[in-house]
Amino acid sequence: MIAAEGLSARVGEFELAQVSFVVPEGKYGVVIGAAGSGKTTLLETIAGVIPMKGGVLKLGGRDMKGVPSEQRNAGIVYQHGYLFPHLSVAENVRYGALDFTFADAIAARIGASELYAREVRGLSGGERQLVAIARALAPRPKVLLLDEPFSALDPRRRTLVRREVRRVARELGITVLQVTHDFTEAGLLGDVAILIDAGRVLQSGPPERLFREPASPYIAEFLGAENVYAGEVRYLDDAAPDFVDDARELLALGHRAIEFLAGGLRLYTVGDAPAGQGHAVIRAEEVLISAMAQESSARNQFKGVVSEIATTGALTRVTVEISSGGGKSAPIVAALTTHSAQELALREGSEVWASFKAMAVHLC
Amino acid sequence: MRQAHRAASVIAALCGSIFLLFLVAPIARLIGAGGAEGLRHLFTDAELRSALALTALTATSATALAILGGTPLAYLLERRRFRGRALLAAVIDLPLLIPHPVAGIALLLVLGRRSLVGGTLLDLGIRVVGSPLGIVCAMLFVSAPLYVSATREAFARVDVRYEAVARSLGDPAWRAFRRVTLPLSSRGLIAAGVVVWARAVSEFGAIVILTYNPKVASVLSYDRFTSYGLDEALPVAAVLAILAFVPLFLLRTLRASSGAAAFVQ
Repeated sequence: MIAAEGLSARVGEFELAQVSFVVPEGKYGVVIGAAGSGKTTLLETIAGVIPMKGGVLKLGGRDMKGVPSEQRNAGIVYQHGYLFPHLSVAENVRYGALDFTFADAIAARIGASELYAREVRGLSGGERQLVAIARALAPRPKVLLLDEPFSALDPRRRTLVRREVRRVARELGITVLQVTHDFTEAGLLGDVAILIDAGRVLQSGPPERLFREPASPYIAEFLGAENVYAGEVRYLDDAAPDFVDDARELLALGHRAIEFLAGGLRLYTVGDAPAGQGHAVIRAEEVLISAMAQESSARNQFKGVVSEIATTGALTRVTVEISSGGGKSAPIVAALTTHSAQELALREGSEVWASFKAMAVHLC
Repeated sequence: MRQAHRAASVIAALCGSIFLLFLVAPIARLIGAGGAEGLRHLFTDAELRSALALTALTATSATALAILGGTPLAYLLERRRFRGRALLAAVIDLPLLIPHPVAGIALLLVLGRRSLVGGTLLDLGIRVVGSPLGIVCAMLFVSAPLYVSATREAFARVDVRYEAVARSLGDPAWRAFRRVTLPLSSRGLIAAGVVVWARAVSEFGAIVILTYNPKVASVLSYDRFTSYGLDEALPVAAVLAILAFVPLFLLRTLRASSGAAAFVQ
């Protein structure tokens, strides 16, 4: 387990302040943040490379105050590997291992043992990362700290190694904390996601929750939500449309039917956001595009004109301008499979319907 | 444009050549005038042989002591941040700025037989002034700052994250230093040692105050010059110049081969 409570540290002018989160025993935590947000500083503070200034840090339930790096049982892998250039690849892998057979077996699983005959100086960035990962796993650490460890691997190898590291960590009961700026990786790997900015944790929790229920519009936009609207929250109560009944369970918990007015857009949802000014977030994946109006009224539904189509491989992002009267319009971005986009024969200027469920609207 | 570039190249080449000539000419002239005679003297002049042996022995001792005391100090200054670090670094550099005879006088005040330290050592049967130990002290005092400075540079070239990784793999600080930092900085440390050795061999000002006799090579060449004139001093000086070239050549070779070995990622 990695548990930080009000953790703070300082490196030059940069300060890591009041960082709190928990990655349960044997789980996979992912730290997300922009460059310079303090991700590496956080890992180095946990590893004991940077001294703590305040707060509490517990690894495996043990307080790390005053515990030197070598007694933390926490392996660290840097983005550049930092392989020892005066040692062979095998010596690097076995550096901290008590059991060389186990170290070699781990190297074989990660794909580092096939590099044993090579010179460290001749390894590519990706190969260095493989050796560094095997080296960190070889002493069977209780905690593994990974700083963008797959960034230099080709996509195919990245998927394989990512899966293998996760499998090894599960088998050995290792708690992992990985830094990444790849949201897909965060979603794929993480049991817990920690969003950090300017040395402070903005939000932490299951990645799904961070993506679906961002705590602020900044977080929503940082995590790639394309539909973020500023507007006004109004309670509807009995005046709510029928489809809000979908959220009967939430209503029973005290949440209320809400009308959110953003420019000309009128969105319906259920939530516990306070009345007044706020933000609505709808992930593009939640928006459906159809040529005709949906027969069911159980959703927010808008007619608009396609203003932009951007295809990136299997996914296509379609921007629909919703006319809100008075010459104004509001864009809604939908993400759909390229196949679906082709089936709909979408063109810029096409008239379409954009719809999404009430529960797809998150207020913050 | 091309003509201006050519003119600048010619001026740069001319300046460089004059500068090189200024450095090489006196040494070349010295070796040309007394080199052959000096090498012959090596077989016939017992005092010269003895002075050279004493120089080598004391310079090596001073270098060993500089390594022993200077390495941890350089590591501390490079790797740790503490109050008074800049002051400590300045104090260590101070002997570089003091004229060497003044350094000799300062050492005499601390190690002379009337001083507390010198007197106590003499009571214990250890004579500093007028002994090889005095020569070692003088050499160490003037050359140690160079060692600390060069060693700091060598440690700075090794990214601190190598140590961080070694420690995360279970090495205590000392073992991480021995297994990682030391091997990665070894070329720089050897180069620093060679610089100290060369500086110690060439020292005169502080030694002459502390220990005129027994004579090291620099004192002997000065003694021959003042007692017998240039002709007698030339062979000794020329041999010293020839022998000084060996460690310098070694140093440059080491530096060239470690030029690409900055362990910073």
